[in-house]
Amino acid sequence: MSLKNLLSAAAVSVALLSAPVALALEPAAMVQILSVIDDRQRNGGDYKAHIYLEQKEKDKTDNVREGFVYRRDADDKLMILFSKPKTEAGKGYLRLDKNLWSYDPNVGKWERRTERERIAGTDSRRADFDESRLAEEFDPAYEGEAKLGKYTAHKLNLKVKPNIDVAYPVVKLWVDKDTNNILKREEYALSGRLMRTALYPRWKKVFSESKGADVWYPEEIRFYDEVEKANSTIVLIKSVDLRSLEANLFTKAWLESKSR
Amino acid sequence: MFQLFLIAFRNLGTHRRRTLLLGGAIAGVTALLVILMGLSQGMEETMLRSATTLGTGHVNVAGFYKITSGQAAPVVTAYPKILELVRKEVPELDYAVQRGRGWAKLVSEKTSSQVGVGGIDVKDEPGFRQVLQVRSGSMDDLAQPNTVLIFEKQAKRLEVKVGDVVTIAAPTMRGTNNTVDVRVAAIAADVGMMSDFNVYVPSQTLRSLYQLREDSTGAIFLYLKDLKQMAQVQARVRQLLTDAGYTLMDNDPRAFWFKFDVVNREEWTGQKLDITNWEDEMSFITWTLKALNGLTGILTFVLLVIIGVGIMNTLWIAIRERTREIGTLRAIGMQRTRVMVMFLFEAMTLGALGTLAGAIIGFVVCVAVDAAHVGVPEAAAMFIMSDRLHLVVNAGSVLGAMVFITGCTTLISLIPSFLAARLKPVTAMHHIG
Repeated sequence: MSLKNLLSAAAVSVALLSAPVALALEPAAMVQILSVIDDRQRNGGDYKAHIYLEQKEKDKTDNVREGFVYRRDADDKLMILFSKPKTEAGKGYLRLDKNLWSYDPNVGKWERRTERERIAGTDSRRADFDESRLAEEFDPAYEGEAKLGKYTAHKLNLKVKPNIDVAYPVVKLWVDKDTNNILKREEYALSGRLMRTALYPRWKKVFSESKGADVWYPEEIRFYDEVEKANSTIVLIKSVDLRSLEANLFTKAWLESKSR
Repeated sequence: MFQLFLIAFRNLGTHRRRTLLLGGAIAGVTALLVILMGLSQGMEETMLRSATTLGTGHVNVAGFYKITSGQAAPVVTAYPKILELVRKEVPELDYAVQRGRGWAKLVSEKTSSQVGVGGIDVKDEPGFRQVLQVRSGSMDDLAQPNTVLIFEKQAKRLEVKVGDVVTIAAPTMRGTNNTVDVRVAAIAADVGMMSDFNVYVPSQTLRSLYQLREDSTGAIFLYLKDLKQMAQVQARVRQLLTDAGYTLMDNDPRAFWFKFDVVNREEWTGQKLDITNWEDEMSFITWTLKALNGLTGILTFVLLVIIGVGIMNTLWIAIRERTREIGTLRAIGMQRTRVMVMFLFEAMTLGALGTLAGAIIGFVVCVAVDAAHVGVPEAAAMFIMSDRLHLVVNAGSVLGAMVFITGCTTLISLIPSFLAARLKPVTAMHHIG
């Protein structure tokens, strides 16, 4: 082997060996990606979304609901109010001071619920409708690039930070390299078992005057229950309105008034 | 008096057909009452045995722990200290066990169901083996980590057999999801409602599922030597723990899972103990017993009215038939009181003989049904917490029923007897009947 060939082989070897290092993101870069994901979805002002939930469960008829999500990110307040079908109209959830309350107009009673419980018995949770806090809540680790259909994504392994309570302590995230949109999310239990997979096939943006920039939201989220494989939920965010909400909206009285 | 009794007895023999008819009716009522009482007592005994082994002690030191005001878990922390205190201060205690409590999703390859999960140390629970009949697998295997005992109906629903692995999924006290894969170690025979929604895993498995510390449990079940001491022991344990500095919940005579709403609504965080007894924990099924006892009472009352009317009517006929005899007896000097007593004795003898026959029939039926291990429909099994009909004949209750029915028949016969005694001898002797 000539010296030239030897040097070429060495150069190729070095390039191949250093390729994964070059692809891997630094922790700061990963945190940056998470911060961008969080920031792109935050409005800063008020937020109202018209949502549609479709729950499929084994041996049960499909369950369909429509409602509204109201958020005031500055005060960390959230309300989910169901409007359809008639039997569910007026039911809702209100997050106040880190407490999640559910209200059933049929019995006229408020119940304090755990923050991480399923919303209306579907595979969705409060966090799915709330402000994104990935950078605050998780420490990322890079798992390389992955192909999801036509998209190339960063695959991040997120572990919950100490003393922070989340429904799933380990999350694997596929983030589109080009747009920084989440494409897929796998959530794991403490035991390491995969519990839920979420797919985000469509993202949309709307201009926020309060933020002075675009706010992104997933137009469709598909949740797949990985424990009971037959169960799944589709969440459609039909529209988002970023205008200011009524001052007294995030109160129990307001939610109660909606069912009278 | 003995002569009067003899006359009464002979009269019954003379009017054999009437005696047999009326005595048969009294015997029927008594037999029915004895059977119903046997059923009620059997149910109570079965429920008590199943409930106090599977889901509650005679007295329980349970409680809730709240990390935040919105998240209550049925957890007692540092339970060995409490156990030590109770063992020292409650001499009425026979034995005590700790039992983890949880509510989780049990998932098989085919399907899933929500179940109450009990964490037990099977080696320390002799009563558990006595109540549960293992259909397949081994109860001893439940001592191994990550195993589960389920019931026949659940096994059928989940389509699993011994050796299969199922997943238990539940959020921890902090709301983080967790799972544990467990092997089906044993499948036990159904024990009514308790087996519909309860499974048992080793204590350690439950702790790892909920991420609990070694010294945490769901409840301490106290079993007493004498159940009659339950109320006073409950009150004493309450006082004892209050004096020891524990915070106790107000007395709420309901099963612990009914209390989540109330506890979650309250602002406090930390530990609060809840002292209950087996009747509180099983309050949701004791109405079955009350309903059965109520039904027994109503049925007995209706039958007694019928029997009463029959006795009065029969005695009316007897008096009518024997008016001349009464007249003659009065004419030769028999006192009014003695005439009345004579008829009363007749009713009383009839009642005593009838109830005796009825009690024997009822007793035989109860013993036969109990020995035959008669199965009960699924709906009934749910409430009586057993798939077999168990009848218990209590001698005191049977004697009580006999005395009660005889007393009623005697009392009812007072009216015709009194009227017979009031007849004038001349009028009675001239009576053509």
